[in-house]
Amino acid sequence: MNEELGNFSPQERAAQEERLRKVWETPKGIRYWTSVNNSQIGLWYGVTAFAFMLFAGLLALLMRLQLAVPENDLISADLFNQAFTLHGTVMMFLFAVPIFEAIAIFLLPSMLGARELPFPRLSAFGFWSFLIGGIFVCGSIFFNAAPNAGWFMYPPLATDEEYSGIGADIWLLGLSFIEVASIAAAVEIIVGIMKCRAPGMRINLMPMFAWYLLIVAGMILFAFPPLIAGDILFEMERMFDWPFFDAERGGDPLLWQHLFWIFGHPEVYIIFLPAIALMAMIVPTFSQRPIVGYSWIVLAAVGTGFLSFGLWVHHMFATGLPQISLAFFSAASEAVAIPTAVQIFVFIATMLAGRVIFSVPMLFGAGGLIIFVIGGLTGVMVALVPFDWQAHDTYFVVAHLHYVLIGGMLFPVVAGIYYYFPFFTGKKLSDFWGKVAFWLMFSGFNIAFFPMHFSGLRGMPRRVFTYPEGIGWDWFNLLSTVGAFIFAAGVATLVIDILRPKHRPHERNLNPWNSGTLEWTNDPQESWGMRSVPIITSRYPLWDQPDLRRNIEEGRYYLPDAKSGERETLVTSVLDAEPIQCLRVGGLSYVTIIAAIALGGVFIALTFHWWIMTIGFAIITFIAIIVWLWTGTAPIPEAPEIDVGLGLKLPIYVSGPASVGWWAMFITMVGDGTAFASLIFGYFFYWTIHEDFTAAVPGPGAFWPIMALVFFVVAWGLTLLAREFNNKGAAGARMALVAAFTVTVAASVAGLAGPYLHGMDPTANVYPATVWILAIWTVAHAAVGAIMQLYCLARSFAGKMTAEYDQDIRNVALYWHFMAVTAVVTFGVIGLFPMVSA
Amino acid sequence: MKSVIPREVESLWTLFTAPTVWALHFIVCYATVAIFCARGLASDISFDTIRLALAIFTLLALAIIVLSAYLAWRQWGFGSGDPPHDAPTRKDRRYFQGFATLLLSGLSFVAVAYMAIPLMFIAECQP
Amino acid sequence: MDDDRLTGPCCRPIRSKRSLGQQGIKGSCCRSVRPIASALFLCPLLVSCSGIQSALDPAGREAAHVATLFFTMLIGGAVIWLAVVGLLFYAARKRRVHSEKGAGQLILWGGAIFPTVVLAALLAYAVWLMPNIRPWFQEEAGSVRRIEVTGEQFWWRVRYLRQDGTVAFETANEVRIPVGERVIFSLRSPDVIHSFWIPVLGGKMDMIPGRDNQLTLMAEKSGTYRGVCAEFCGSSHALMAFTVLAMEPQDFEAWMAARQGASGAEDVEGLALFLKQGCDGCHAISGTDARGTIGPDLTAFGERGSVGAGTLENVEDHIARFIRDPGAIKPEARMPHFSMLPDAEIDRIAAYLKGLR
Repeated sequence: MNEELGNFSPQERAAQEERLRKVWETPKGIRYWTSVNNSQIGLWYGVTAFAFMLFAGLLALLMRLQLAVPENDLISADLFNQAFTLHGTVMMFLFAVPIFEAIAIFLLPSMLGARELPFPRLSAFGFWSFLIGGIFVCGSIFFNAAPNAGWFMYPPLATDEEYSGIGADIWLLGLSFIEVASIAAAVEIIVGIMKCRAPGMRINLMPMFAWYLLIVAGMILFAFPPLIAGDILFEMERMFDWPFFDAERGGDPLLWQHLFWIFGHPEVYIIFLPAIALMAMIVPTFSQRPIVGYSWIVLAAVGTGFLSFGLWVHHMFATGLPQISLAFFSAASEAVAIPTAVQIFVFIATMLAGRVIFSVPMLFGAGGLIIFVIGGLTGVMVALVPFDWQAHDTYFVVAHLHYVLIGGMLFPVVAGIYYYFPFFTGKKLSDFWGKVAFWLMFSGFNIAFFPMHFSGLRGMPRRVFTYPEGIGWDWFNLLSTVGAFIFAAGVATLVIDILRPKHRPHERNLNPWNSGTLEWTNDPQESWGMRSVPIITSRYPLWDQPDLRRNIEEGRYYLPDAKSGERETLVTSVLDAEPIQCLRVGGLSYVTIIAAIALGGVFIALTFHWWIMTIGFAIITFIAIIVWLWTGTAPIPEAPEIDVGLGLKLPIYVSGPASVGWWAMFITMVGDGTAFASLIFGYFFYWTIHEDFTAAVPGPGAFWPIMALVFFVVAWGLTLLAREFNNKGAAGARMALVAAFTVTVAASVAGLAGPYLHGMDPTANVYPATVWILAIWTVAHAAVGAIMQLYCLARSFAGKMTAEYDQDIRNVALYWHFMAVTAVVTFGVIGLFPMVSA
Repeated sequence: MKSVIPREVESLWTLFTAPTVWALHFIVCYATVAIFCARGLASDISFDTIRLALAIFTLLALAIIVLSAYLAWRQWGFGSGDPPHDAPTRKDRRYFQGFATLLLSGLSFVAVAYMAIPLMFIAECQP
Repeated sequence: MDDDRLTGPCCRPIRSKRSLGQQGIKGSCCRSVRPIASALFLCPLLVSCSGIQSALDPAGREAAHVATLFFTMLIGGAVIWLAVVGLLFYAARKRRVHSEKGAGQLILWGGAIFPTVVLAALLAYAVWLMPNIRPWFQEEAGSVRRIEVTGEQFWWRVRYLRQDGTVAFETANEVRIPVGERVIFSLRSPDVIHSFWIPVLGGKMDMIPGRDNQLTLMAEKSGTYRGVCAEFCGSSHALMAFTVLAMEPQDFEAWMAARQGASGAEDVEGLALFLKQGCDGCHAISGTDARGTIGPDLTAFGERGSVGAGTLENVEDHIARFIRDPGAIKPEARMPHFSMLPDAEIDRIAAYLKGLR
């Protein structure tokens, strides 16, 4: 085998390394922040998320101080309400989800044997969006303007301007901005895992972490868009008085609850699965053997991923829905416990069949498991409707969710920090301080949260800023407060251990735990990721493939060089990881930061209703994104093929389903389609709850919607025609694009004409508001589609899109498939359904 | 019979067949009772009829899952090899896919069967 | 039923029907000797038993079933947890390495088959329980007692309905029901979402603007209990409680009759002052010209357990404090402050209200 590998003299190797280092170099000074390298972005992301966690933890301590004794007046009701709202919001949106995007961006390339994820600039854009949005949301509490209606933001409390003030807008807009970043990260992760694995890493050899992240990213794609749709409805109500949740005008507060929890429950598993993924990397290492039950883990991850979407109503057991509906959700909620149990038993089985070395990561892992099992068992309890009727919205649920999230997420993350610290610094954290932190956190956690089970069952509701003496809650609460501070001391110990200066170890040891997975070949001193991209033949290549590390470091595998001066990585096939493309990814750039700041500006200006500023920022965002696309995507390479080493020549430019860009578009549009489906769900939701859902308001008629439908289908056809013509020469394609653009504009006008000409007033009733929102959604997408048509036209004229290099038009055609479905559904529903139902 | 059973497919998507059946079954059950209970469509249909229809639908879903399990079993070589299926070969990759799909079919079967319990015990649209 | 017989050794029954501000009740505890489970778990774990707002100390049919369900699950859960943790410790500390096949079997049996069977049984039991504890009442079943409760920021409007659905009388922040009879609560809200919850009787039900929710409860033991709002509803969500009196049927009927004849006109001077200061703009008192509907009905206010929806014990001093500045006691309460009135007048109105029977 070794003879087939590359062989370079030391001088050649040094020259290769010099070139690689130059290409992947991280700049110094202010330019450092233009880096898009996954190690920097991952690190910044992680540190930021961790900082937000500490902030939210401080808020929790403030709440525990207030609740230490009955009838306390340490803080006001209003500050308490802001604190608990922000605590939940920050922990969920700014810590739990982003920390995994951070870990994934950081670890995945090395784990998969890729130089980089396929869209590094998108990662950078996601990070900057997250940072800006996060600071905006957290900062609000210092101006006494934080959201105060709970992290679940139930209307009508949260739509009440007088009560919620600007806080609710900060929540809605700040978080929508971050949700966009999360979806961007999900696209990046899915494409990265499916297409950027090292050659030979078939799906049965993928690291467990990658399996989990693939599922989690897929879940984000289906879970976040309903919330974005909900945010849009909510913000329309707050800004323009469209009555989606106002019962007096036909709206219904429950629609928000549905949309929120369709997001909210999968969210729990989006948080939990990656933590289990870390455990699945740690347990085999310290059991000194491959994981037992690899397929079972896949079962658990995929099964949880699906079932988690059938649980949302268990947050609504007390809303008065029919018992049979509740029971269906109860059934799914019980079923999801099975894959969760499988995961736990996989770890136990792996330990049983191995020789366990006890270490700090294992301590946190096992401690987390012990806590999590309690959370899982109480989860089984609250998933039963009769019990939940009692336990819902009490401290029992507070205890349950913290047992699940801290045991199932925080402890594994800390285990991961101890485990992976040498991976990104080359140094280990202290064993001694690790144990101190563990025992403080473990005991503090249980002292704080175990009593809450009982205060809850004794009738203590959640989200109370005070409670009377003598109901039977006093001692439990005092205990919880004491425990919370012990827990905080543990977290502080961890932070100090991370921050304290550490000596560099005497000898260089890249794999201090003797792990078996590929990421441990990574040298934290170098920013190129893999020195050369290896051929993988095992799940634990460092255990099973002798000389792997040496061969990688000596550049004997693929892509040992960077002669072109571009950042290159391999793209492989989905199932068997056969190399199919040499992908060039984006390098350093200001454009991502500018785009993120401008988009942040749009959201922030909207919050304060500064309309002109909003438009200004929107224009800057638009320009930044166009520049980004124009300069950074689908450049025509200097040669069709490149030698990637070992005698293999691969294309540099591919288009259609073979390309990562096509997949990114596809995945993004699946998410977008989910948001659209949520809006359609809203339309029919109002139909089910009202005798006459049109409330006798005249609808958009059938004529204009049908016209719009037909025009959109024609525009779609013309766009596809442009794609076909493009293969034969530019002229036909350009004409088809111009025609498609014209028809798109006509279709959009027709789409808006229906509700407009019939004088539908969206503030009068929920029916016109729903029709308008669907029409606007579709026309907004048509506007994006039209810009894409013009973009292709411009690319064609600029010679950047040719018959051979046609990625742009093929991705745009893919967009238009989704566009056509959206238009047909929208105008079919708003035009024809009122007639059908009448 | 041979023509009814699909040929082996080389795709990652087959992994998701059984859970997708669960999801569709779940949506249909939920949407049916939600619409029936909220709107009482066609008042001559009783809730018991709805329950019966959904029960039959449940059996259908279970049958599809069993079929998917059979296909997975076939992909797994009818259990001819034990896990872990970690060799760097196309065969082991397929065996792995087959085994994982089989396990997922099992879980989906249980999850769909659980949905029958509410149909059994709850006879009214009551809140 | 003889209540004393039900009183366990660590318990002291609450029998008093008057002035039951929750401040006053300390150390009250489990009044029933619930299954052996409570002896096993409750008393040692919970120091003393629970009290007037505890789901573990049921006085109603639904709550009793749910408590049994809970204790069953608690025992089962504890056994499972101990087994898993024991296995984990064994796996970490064992001397010999087990075979991969054996470990795989553990995943199959422990991780998949065991939970599948146990969860199926548990689910079937719980789903069977649902229509059992919250049975369906058709609209035409006229003999059922109906009480309409409206959650307002931050108090409870309580209306007792006649068989024909008309309002017999209205009260606030206090719910009285007869023992041994099923009562349907119609639950509404005009402002934001609240949730109606009496832990000792059963689970909660949300009150959602635009929706009419119903909850049926049956008290099995007489006594005075406490209910609360369980859905976050704004600044004073924590201060939105109510008193629940489960009464023997004859006592309840007597109270109903007395309550319908109640009049606030006896203390003429107090009433005059009440009307003069405009309190009747928001509040109603039967038998007088005070017919405001914005705030709580104050008829027979002196009998109520608390001031400000479970916030303060019902004594004159507290009433006066509340009138002077409600916002200081209940943040964002809708009632304006009356601190501009002379103390003497406030005290006089407080005395009048405390005297209402």
